[in-house]
Amino acid sequence: MSIEEQYRTRAKELLAGGAVKMVIGYGKGTTGERRRPIFITSPDEVERLVLDEACITNLSGYLVSEGLLSDEKRVAVFLRPEGVRAVNILAAESQLDSDQLVIFGFDVVGNEIKALKGIHVEEFADVIESLKESAPGVAKELLLEKIESMSPQERFSYWQGEFAKCIKCYACRQACPMCYCRRCIVDSNQPQWVNTSSHSLGNFEWNIVRAFHLSGRCVECGNCDRACPVNIPLRLINHRMAEEVLGTFDHFAGTSKTQEPVLASFKKDDSETFIL
Amino acid sequence: MAKIGVFICHCGENIGAKVDCTRLAAAMGEHPGVAVSVEYKYFCSDPGQESVKRAIRDNNLTGVVVAACSPRMHEATFRKACAEAGLNPYLCEIANIREQCSWVHTDKDMATEKAMDITRSMVEKVKRNNKLQPIEVPVTRRALVIGGGIAGIQAALDIANAGQDVVLVEREPSLGGHMAQLSETFPTLDCSQCIMTPRMVEAAQHPKIRLLTYAEIESVDGYIGNFKVRVRMKSRYVDLDRCTGCGDCITKCPAKKISSEFDCSLGKRTAIYTPFAQSVPNIPVIDKANCIYFKNGKCKICAKTCQCDAINFEMQDEFIELEIGAIVVATGFQVQNNTMYGEYGYGKYPDVINGLQFERLASASGPTAGKILRPSDGKEPENVVFIQCAGSRDPSKGVRYCSKICCMYTAKHAMLYAHKVHDGKTNIFYMDIRAAGKGYDEFSRRAIEDDEASYVRGRVSKVWQENGKLMVRGVDTLLGRPVEIAADMVVLATAMISQPDAKEFAKTIGIGYDEYGFYNEAHLKLRPVESSTAGVFLAGACQSPKDIPDSVAQASATASKVLALFSKEKLEREPVVATNNEATCAGCWGCVLACPYNAIEQKDILDRSGKIIKRVASVNPGLCQGCGTCVTFCRSNSLDLAGFTEKQIFAEVMGL
Repeated sequence: MSIEEQYRTRAKELLAGGAVKMVIGYGKGTTGERRRPIFITSPDEVERLVLDEACITNLSGYLVSEGLLSDEKRVAVFLRPEGVRAVNILAAESQLDSDQLVIFGFDVVGNEIKALKGIHVEEFADVIESLKESAPGVAKELLLEKIESMSPQERFSYWQGEFAKCIKCYACRQACPMCYCRRCIVDSNQPQWVNTSSHSLGNFEWNIVRAFHLSGRCVECGNCDRACPVNIPLRLINHRMAEEVLGTFDHFAGTSKTQEPVLASFKKDDSETFIL
Repeated sequence: MAKIGVFICHCGENIGAKVDCTRLAAAMGEHPGVAVSVEYKYFCSDPGQESVKRAIRDNNLTGVVVAACSPRMHEATFRKACAEAGLNPYLCEIANIREQCSWVHTDKDMATEKAMDITRSMVEKVKRNNKLQPIEVPVTRRALVIGGGIAGIQAALDIANAGQDVVLVEREPSLGGHMAQLSETFPTLDCSQCIMTPRMVEAAQHPKIRLLTYAEIESVDGYIGNFKVRVRMKSRYVDLDRCTGCGDCITKCPAKKISSEFDCSLGKRTAIYTPFAQSVPNIPVIDKANCIYFKNGKCKICAKTCQCDAINFEMQDEFIELEIGAIVVATGFQVQNNTMYGEYGYGKYPDVINGLQFERLASASGPTAGKILRPSDGKEPENVVFIQCAGSRDPSKGVRYCSKICCMYTAKHAMLYAHKVHDGKTNIFYMDIRAAGKGYDEFSRRAIEDDEASYVRGRVSKVWQENGKLMVRGVDTLLGRPVEIAADMVVLATAMISQPDAKEFAKTIGIGYDEYGFYNEAHLKLRPVESSTAGVFLAGACQSPKDIPDSVAQASATASKVLALFSKEKLEREPVVATNNEATCAGCWGCVLACPYNAIEQKDILDRSGKIIKRVASVNPGLCQGCGTCVTFCRSNSLDLAGFTEKQIFAEVMGL
């Protein structure tokens, strides 16, 4: 039986028995290569579930939809390892109770779908630990190498060019599981720290503030990158910040549901290289 | 409509010489919302303050900006003046045009432009200031003194004698610190132990002093008037209550060849030991690393010897929680290890010793019972060379600063040597003789004139061993010729440096330190015994190299600061505290973790039926210190700081 069929069967059992009230998974998209999130509440609908190498969206963000988990009933969700990390962070930041989740873990290796064992976040600790060791996220792709070889001035003008395309649609924010604030700082207008206009200053402010807000939290799922309608390589900024906190504070985001946020916690042996 | 008064201070020439105050006053007078803009030579003076008050009353000002020195200097002064004129003191702000402008610029035009920017920015801020009311917090009237050397003992006694409770914590098994190790003291040559030990006993027996020896500070939380301190009582393996201090266990202990820390490796001690015979408390400790029982599982001779059943090998470290109102840090110093001077042979030749080791040789309670004898063969040295500034004033190998006490103790050593070895010869290599202090210069002259110490102005380049002598090669810069002396002993006047864990400990209590690890005072001249953390005071050599009179004076000064704090039932605290916007708070609790004062707690927002709608952060204003860490952390911008609100800061930035 394929993993897709196994998971459909399990989803059906869970829904039929009332163990979960909803399964958040992937369904067919508008084209053959695209998958879209679907929210199944009846056992009759499980045939709509699809699991293949095109299932790349991190679905964890839907878990913090207002009211979804407030009735304390359980919800099942399809997650790749990055998704599990995202759930750990959301749990660590008190946004959800991970005990309410039933995880359908999977990973895509090449074109193969691999099932990940376990239904609770704790059971994925080994998988996440091995990700930390192998320095995950963006593979050393050409663009990254190119940017890293630039001088600071060149890099600045590169990003200036990229950010010039930003239309402030906030799709990156909507797609990001970490952007759960009820009022985003950019919507705070008393005072208006982040300029909402799509000029170069405003665009810089927005994208850099977002990068800072994600440092030590981004799991590099790529949701922002794929959501961006003007193709700004946002994953690279976040990857850079993730590298920075890993190197400086040995912090790999989302290793456990009790992990302390790196920028709010303080250890005596923290590196102080940034203090002049 | 804002009516802001701008008061531009010349600070004599400090600001006036580099900033065109007349132009500045005119420019500020034009700025929207400014009702009065005037200049004066010294606004902090009595007539200056009076003119500010008058301007407030005459013009019904709604805010005041004093463009002057740093707010650290006179913010309190001008806020008080505003309050006296009926204006809420928190409607007064300082524009720092001295430290941040006139002192650091040379071009008058540009400095004036910058002063305009700084002042305008504060005018924009003050327009958005709110009236704030001070917060009252209770004061716990119990002081913690950390360190049981002379400074700590003096501070503890002074506070206790004024009737306040003191907890005195010492990490060694006995009180005493470095002073207990000294032989005689300059400039009077009275015996250190004779003046020190009675103080130690007085501190230990004082009804207001709780003495915790062999104890270390584990953590310090809280704030002025309300510290929570956790102390680790290291296990002595000897019951303090049962032990009578008879010393039988020490006599019988078979591990006798352990190098004595108190005697600076010149003497030996046992594994169960008191550092010295006059220890307070006179209760031994077991040195676990060297105890035969702890190493091999067999021995326990001390336990068998003890008639009081006081030895307990099962003893564990214990923790004590203390509620404290004020802290005196008197953690002292250490002497620098001189092995970095390979050319002096310290650590290589046994007869090259440091000043503290010489003290132990000269001390009646020392390993030689006060006889000056060479460590190598126990013979009396006939010729001793002293090398001053062995580490001090040497940026290349040692420390840049002057250790302050070495000139004096070297003169003292020369005298003690002359008094004990009558035919002995003394040569002292020195850079300068620094003998500033009451009776100090007379003292060093006595060493030269009465006790025939020969001072050679110059440095030593090399010490080596030849035919049983230590050959010292140096230069006499006054005569302009090289000198070579065959000595029997060489004494290095080693630098005083900060404790090895000084920086680490500063982080534990939350105070600042300088590049050398000495603790920073709040103001070098005007607040020399206060740290930059309110309620934490500094005494003795933990702040900078000091001799005994200075340490004692500073300790008494800290006591007066502590007592002033304890003279009030409640403390008025600045109302600069964080507030949270519960409507926008996302409840991520990052602020709870980020807060160094544990001032943020979780609060449930309930609906009418009592069901939790959401959980948000809530700031306890009694605990909040207004540091702003939570504000910078908050991603949704829900936290704000009274007195430094986002609106104020934004206006300030936009005003630039």
